[in-house]
Amino acid sequence: MTSITLGPLLFNWKPDAFRDFYFRMADAEAIDIVHVGEVVCSKRTPFLDPVIPEVIERLQASGKQVVASSLALIMNDREAAQARDLAESGLLVEANDISVAAMMAGRSFVAGPLLNIYNEGTLATLEAMGAVRVCLPAELAADAIGQLAAKAKMGIEVQAFGRLPLAISARCYAARARGLSKDGCQYVCADDPDGMAVETLDEVPFLAVNGTQTMSYHHMSLLGEVGDLVRRGVSSIRLWPHVTDMAQVAGLFRAVLDGRLAPAEAEDRLAALVPGAEFANGYIHGRPGHQYVEMEL
Amino acid sequence: MDSMRCQLRKAASMIPGHVQSSVRPAPPPFSPVLLLGLALQPLRPQMLQPLFDAMLRMIRARHPDILERMADYADKPVCIDPTDLPFVILLDPHPEHPALLVRRQIENGEAAAVIHGSLETLVALAEGKVDGDALFFSRRLVIEGDTEVVVALRNAVDGAGIDLIDDISAQLGPLGTAFRRLAGTAAGLAGRLRDDFETLRASLIAPAVKDVDAQGARINALEAEIRQLRKAQRRGGAA
Amino acid sequence: MASTLPPSRPELVCPAGTPAALKSAVDAGADCVYVGFRDETNARNFPGLNFNRKELAEGIAYAHDKGAKVLVAINTFPRAGQPELWHQAVADAARLKADAAILADIGLIDHAARHHPELRLHLSVQAAASNPEAIAFYAERFGVKRVVLPRVLTVQEISAINARIAPVETEVFVFGGLCVMAEGRCALSSYVTGQSPNMNGVCSPAGEVRYTETAQGVTSELSGFTINKFAANEPAGYPTLCKGRFIARDKASYLFEEPTSLNTLAILPDLIKAGVTAFKIEGRQRGRAYVAAVVQAFRAGVDAVMAGRPLPEIDLDRITEGGKQTTGAYEKAWR
Repeated sequence: MTSITLGPLLFNWKPDAFRDFYFRMADAEAIDIVHVGEVVCSKRTPFLDPVIPEVIERLQASGKQVVASSLALIMNDREAAQARDLAESGLLVEANDISVAAMMAGRSFVAGPLLNIYNEGTLATLEAMGAVRVCLPAELAADAIGQLAAKAKMGIEVQAFGRLPLAISARCYAARARGLSKDGCQYVCADDPDGMAVETLDEVPFLAVNGTQTMSYHHMSLLGEVGDLVRRGVSSIRLWPHVTDMAQVAGLFRAVLDGRLAPAEAEDRLAALVPGAEFANGYIHGRPGHQYVEMEL
Repeated sequence: MDSMRCQLRKAASMIPGHVQSSVRPAPPPFSPVLLLGLALQPLRPQMLQPLFDAMLRMIRARHPDILERMADYADKPVCIDPTDLPFVILLDPHPEHPALLVRRQIENGEAAAVIHGSLETLVALAEGKVDGDALFFSRRLVIEGDTEVVVALRNAVDGAGIDLIDDISAQLGPLGTAFRRLAGTAAGLAGRLRDDFETLRASLIAPAVKDVDAQGARINALEAEIRQLRKAQRRGGAA
Repeated sequence: MASTLPPSRPELVCPAGTPAALKSAVDAGADCVYVGFRDETNARNFPGLNFNRKELAEGIAYAHDKGAKVLVAINTFPRAGQPELWHQAVADAARLKADAAILADIGLIDHAARHHPELRLHLSVQAAASNPEAIAFYAERFGVKRVVLPRVLTVQEISAINARIAPVETEVFVFGGLCVMAEGRCALSSYVTGQSPNMNGVCSPAGEVRYTETAQGVTSELSGFTINKFAANEPAGYPTLCKGRFIARDKASYLFEEPTSLNTLAILPDLIKAGVTAFKIEGRQRGRAYVAAVVQAFRAGVDAVMAGRPLPEIDLDRITEGGKQTTGAYEKAWR
C-alpha cells in the first residue's frame, strides 16, 4: 500500500503551534510517516528543541513512524554537531545534506528531497550506504521517476502537495526584505507561517520565501497524478505541512489513492482547504514547475 | 518556442538624435562613422554587396567553426544593425547556403533577431576586444527578438578569434602589408577624431539628457502611485 | 591551524568557453583552464559555446605546451536511464589526458573512480560540499582530490574547513557571476523555464529571455515573467532570475541579489592565508576580452601577494555585471 508521509514543517512556527500541529497529526488516520526537525535554519532549533521530545513521543504512541529530518545546508561546526546528535539519536534520520548521509552510512536512513538524486547511479550508491527510502527532487518528471523506481530496491517517494522547496542559501531573504541581516534577523520569518509571497514588478505571483529557503509560489498538487505514479512504482507520497487542516489534506490523497474519490473532486475540496492557493504540477509533466496541466477527466 | 521575427527599416534620415525604432539605441549623434554614414547615404546598399560576399568567403575559409557553432540555428537569420550607418547586414547562418546580405531594410519576419550597436562597437565585439555582456549591461549594444540565437552568434564569433585587419590582409595576399599599414593609420586617425567628437557631443546633448532624466523620475513617481492604488483595490491573494 | 608553513602559491583556474578563450587564458597567465564539452554534460551548456573532442585535444596540447593544465567540467546530473552521454564525456576526458575532470553527481563520480582510476577527480561546486564531513565523503569513498567550495562560506569557515580536510585541496571562486543560492541546490530556473543547471546545464536560458523596449526603458522577461525593468539610461542586466527586482511585503527590491559580480581582489591575502589551493574565475560564457582582462588582473594580484608586494589597483568595473562588485558570502555581512 502506498504510504502517506508528512514532510518536516519547513516554516518557522512558534513552539506551541508546532507542538499542537504535530499532536493533531498524531491523530490523522491517513498519515503513516511523520518527519520532524528543522531543515531550513539552524538559528530556529533552540526554540523547538524543548518540545520535540514530547512531539516524537506522542507521534510514536499513535503508531506513526517518526523520522528526524536534518538541516539542508551545514556550514559550520555547530551545525555539524547538531547533525551528529541527530545521527546518534537512535531515530530514523532523513539526510538533507550529503554529510548526514555520510554520518549514517552503514545504518538505515532516508535520503531527503534536498539531496541531488537524479539517476540510478546515485541511487545505487545511497542504497549501498543504507538508504531505505528516497524522496526525489522536485524537478524530476514522471518518466525519470519511473526509471528510478524500476531500478530501486528502496522505497521511492514523490513530493505531492505544498509549496516546493526550490533553493537554499546562506543569505536570509526574510531578513533582507526587512532591511535586516541574517545575524540580526529578529526571527522575522515567523511572520509568514506559509512563506512570504514574492511577485514580479507586474504583480504576478512568482516565488515564496521561507527565511534562507526559496520556494514555489504555487502549491504543488499531484492529486491527478498520484495514481499514475503509484503504477510507475512510487511507494509513498510526501505532503508538505501548511497552515491548513493537514489531516483533511492527507485524507483527500488517501481517498484518491484508494479509488474512493475522483481526483478532480478531490482537487476542488483541496482548493477549499487552502483558499487563495494556486496549484501547479508542471514538473511531473516535464514542464516548467509553475505550470498546471489540467487533469484528464 | 516560436521566436519573434523582427522587422527594421533604415529611415532616410540619419539625422543626429533621431531614433528610428523604439528599440534601437539612438545613434551616437556625432561620430566619424556617422559622417561616413552620411557620405554613404546616396549609395545603393547593393553596391556594397561584393564587399560582404568577400567577407563571407573569408569567414568560410578562415573561420569555418563560426558556422559550425551556429549549426543549431541554421534557419534563424540575424540582422546586424550598425546604428551609425545607413544599411543593415542580414546574416543567414545556414551551413549549406550561408549569406551575408547588405540591405537598406529587412522585411517583417526576415530576421529572428536584431543586434543594434555602433560600427565601432560591433567591430570590437567581432574581434573579441570587448566583452559582449559588458556592452549589453552598459546598453551600448541592444538586442531584439530571439536572444538565444544572438548569444550563439556572439559565442561563435568570439570563439573564432577574428582579427578583421589580419583576416582581410591575409585575403589580399601581397597587398596585405600595405593594407595593414593603411588600416593602422586610419584607426589612429579615427580614434583621435572620435575623442574630438565626444567632447563636442557631450557639450551639445548634456541639457537634453538632463531633461529626459527628470521626465523619467516623474514617470517613476506616477507609476509608484498607480501601483499603490491598484494594490489597495486588489483582493488579498494567497499567503 | 593545521600548519604554520607559509601558504603556497595558489593556482589560477580560468574559464574558457571556446578554443580562442583558452588561448587567451593561457597567454594571460592561467595555471589551469577549465572547459566543457558542447552538450548538456556541463553547467555552461550555452548556445554556440564549448568544445568538441578535436578542439579539446588541441586545447590540451596548447595548454600543456605552455605549462598550463586543462580541467574538464562534466558537472550536470546524468538523466535517469540515459547515463551514456555523461559516461562518454568522462571516458573522453580521460582518453585526451585532461588533467582532471570536475564532477558533481555521486553516481558519475563512482563510475569515473571505477572505470578511469587514472583520471584525477575534482568535485564541482554543483555538488555543494559545504563542510568537512561532506568533503571527506567524496575524498574517502571516491578518491576526489580537490573540492570547489560553494559560494556560501565565509573566509573564516573556509579556513576552518581547510584545517580539517588536508590533503584534500580546496578551490574557491574569486571573480565573476555570483550564485546567491547554494550551487547545485537550486531549481528556480526549471520552476520558471523548465530548464535548470542540474538537469540541463543552464540557468535562465537565453531562449527564454525577452527584452521589450517601453517608453520608460527596457523590460527583461524570462518565460513571460518580468525579471526587471530598467530606466532609459540605467545599465541593463541579463535576467538571471535570482538577480531581478521583485515585490515582497509591498516593496520592490533586489530581494535575492543585485546584478553584481564577485570580485575578491581586495581580499586575496585573506583567501591565501585561509589555505586555499586554487582560485577559480567564473565566466566560460563571457568571451576572450573578459577572460584576458580578469586573468591578467588576478595573475598580477596573486603574484603580488606571494612576493609580499601591495595589491595592484586594478579596475574591473567595466566587465562586471551592472558595473557592481561584491565580496559575496566571503564576508559575513553579505548574509
